Amino acid sequence: MTALGTPANEAISEREEAALPLLCIDDLAVSFAQGRRARAQAVDGVRLSLFGRQTLAVVGESGCGKSVTALSVLGLIPDPPGRIDRGEVQYRTSDRLGFGIIDLAHLDEPTLRQIRGSEIAMIFQEPMTSLNPVYTIGDQLTEAIRLHQEVGKREAREIAVRAMNDVGIPQPARRLRAYPHQFSGGMRQRAMIAMALACEPRVLLADEPTTALDVTIQLQILELLDVLKRERGLSVMLITHDLGVVSGHADAVCVMYAGRVVEYARTEALFADPMHPYTRGLLACVPRLRERRDRLTTVHEVVSDPGQFDRLGRDLRPWWAWHDPPAGVTPRRAGGGCALVELRPEHWVGVWRDSDEPDRFPVLPPRV
Amino acid sequence: MDALPDLDAPSRHRDHPFARSISGLIGLGVLIVMAAACFGSLPWTLASVDGVPRYNAGSPHQARIAPAWASHDRDEIRRLNAMVDPAQLASIAKWYGMSIEELIEQTEGKAAVDLRRYHPKFRLGTDMLGRDLWARCLIGGSISLGIGIAAALISVTIGTLYGALAAYAGGRADAVMMRIVDILYGLPYILLVVLLAVAGDALLDEWVTRARAREAWVRTEAREMLVEQGHASPTRADVRTLLEDSPDLRDDLIARALVALPPREMSAATRTFFDLLTLLVAIGGVSWLTMSRVIRGQVLSLKEQPFVEAARAVGARPRRIFVRHLLPNLVGPIVVYATLTVPQAILQESFLSFLGIGVKPPLPSWGNLASDGLSEVNMYKSHWWLLLFPCLLLGVTLLALNFVGEGLREAFDPKRARR
Repeated sequence: MTALGTPANEAISEREEAALPLLCIDDLAVSFAQGRRARAQAVDGVRLSLFGRQTLAVVGESGCGKSVTALSVLGLIPDPPGRIDRGEVQYRTSDRLGFGIIDLAHLDEPTLRQIRGSEIAMIFQEPMTSLNPVYTIGDQLTEAIRLHQEVGKREAREIAVRAMNDVGIPQPARRLRAYPHQFSGGMRQRAMIAMALACEPRVLLADEPTTALDVTIQLQILELLDVLKRERGLSVMLITHDLGVVSGHADAVCVMYAGRVVEYARTEALFADPMHPYTRGLLACVPRLRERRDRLTTVHEVVSDPGQFDRLGRDLRPWWAWHDPPAGVTPRRAGGGCALVELRPEHWVGVWRDSDEPDRFPVLPPRV
Repeated sequence: MDALPDLDAPSRHRDHPFARSISGLIGLGVLIVMAAACFGSLPWTLASVDGVPRYNAGSPHQARIAPAWASHDRDEIRRLNAMVDPAQLASIAKWYGMSIEELIEQTEGKAAVDLRRYHPKFRLGTDMLGRDLWARCLIGGSISLGIGIAAALISVTIGTLYGALAAYAGGRADAVMMRIVDILYGLPYILLVVLLAVAGDALLDEWVTRARAREAWVRTEAREMLVEQGHASPTRADVRTLLEDSPDLRDDLIARALVALPPREMSAATRTFFDLLTLLVAIGGVSWLTMSRVIRGQVLSLKEQPFVEAARAVGARPRRIFVRHLLPNLVGPIVVYATLTVPQAILQESFLSFLGIGVKPPLPSWGNLASDGLSEVNMYKSHWWLLLFPCLLLGVTLLALNFVGEGLREAFDPKRARR
């Protein structure tokens, strides 16, 4: 048995399939060499799961390991200096490839290349520089298509036109002849999404897809992702630090800090009742329109208040990178003593680990 | 969505890269004309005149004659008069009632004007050995252009591959490769070129004379003789003693070696070709250093660009990323440095020719011709054409090359709007 709950290559019904995660990240740890200094632990024991037709938002401040987690799903961690220390990235491949359940973290390059783009696609934060300036949009789109599908130039072009149309670019056939610099930021991000979706992947890793765009374009792009999720059953891992985006477009939220998952819950549950002090701090930072204040609350103010770190019930205390472990807890295992515990139904919080009991896997199947 | 303004997506036809730079087009035109003239006239310049190729044909009595369209001094006119066909000389002398000697002395007057029509025409004058400068400029141009272009090609190929590989490999491999470049940079380049040229020359000499091969043959034969005489395993010293002790045997062996391995024959043209090849390899072999550094820097910055990561994320192979995504972005610097390498190579060639290890006289190159012409400019009488024309041709070519490089850079830059 694997974490995905089914042995490899066993036929399962569609209903059963919907109840199983597509992608499971289990105890992933990634570190980077820093010359002679000790390796920087970018990600340490991350667990999360992604179902079909689900948008999972991964939030956290810069450097908390969001992007590294996404990159390691596709095996894109630059090695050296990066290295996957432990953990697995289990992925249930589609019937198209027929590999069954595979571990993306320990896969050979040629197989990974087959997965990239065709099964799991990624879009990046900078639409300005993610396109090669010397080729037309059409050249780059058809390249992505022809890498994974056995189609001729003309067919690839037709697929590209359809993909451009799907992401809402008017006159797609003419736009294919344009160079990236002739596109606006929003159009470039649309073109990037079209490129990512041209091979009809099942999972889309969106690494801050709207950070570089203004709010109206941001809304359009996010609605586009919602439509694709509904119509094509796409799963989206949405990396962001915009809580507004999270509340409107995500089904589940994974809050990360210092390379660990500190809270994991359905969006409504998380916003209604944040349990970890860091999540509470993040939510306290969001300015409210009707409220008159001279200065806004910062995360720092919340997490530096020891009262916030009271016991959460079951005699567990929230994990925090800058606190000493409480008596009886030794960070024996890697992961720095952080454990993800289901404190309420479907609501996981990172607490200090005080037993050798293995972590339970956080799963939030989408409600039908 | 439909209400969006109809942005004019440019079609490829209207934005043809060649149409972007007028000066580049002019430069290209000049280069084509120059190359066509130089290379196209090769059959004429190499054609035999009295058993000597035309570029090398001339006699001292027609030395240092100004171009046909420039003014001549008395001495030149006298010498030109003497070169007129004897039958024509006789008939004109008869017409004016002079002796042939008297007619040749005529530098002014009706007879001289009549005679001028039959003077030999040297379009660009002649040099100190009486060779036609026009023919020498043409063949010198094909030598210079050929060396410049070939050296640029060599340096572009080696430099691009080396620099890109170093940057792409990264880490220790990159460090080692670039330290090698640093060391080569540290050595004076002229030393490298001389070493390469001399080594090439020695190889060629050995191939022709086969002296070393014969020595080795003699030693092997002597060794076999020793073995036949019952010597179990003769050392080199044994062989040497045998040969030194019996001069008759040695002479006999050398004579047989001459029969077995006779010196090869190599025509002067082949020899010249190989000389030029060595020169070319020597110049190309040192001029790729700058190129590889520039390309390495470019690749280092390009490979961190998000579009390279994006290409990896759609599942492209490293080789594909390199060929399809990195190389096209490198075209700009490659073209710019290639156009800078051509004139540099031409200048290096002329410098080496000056030192006597480059193009060997009588074969000229623009650099050779210019340096010869420089020594002809003096206070008493300046033979200006000998300096002016090679320099003019060299200058125009280098300028045209720069324009073409600039034009190509614009053509390859998609961000540049059409003017």
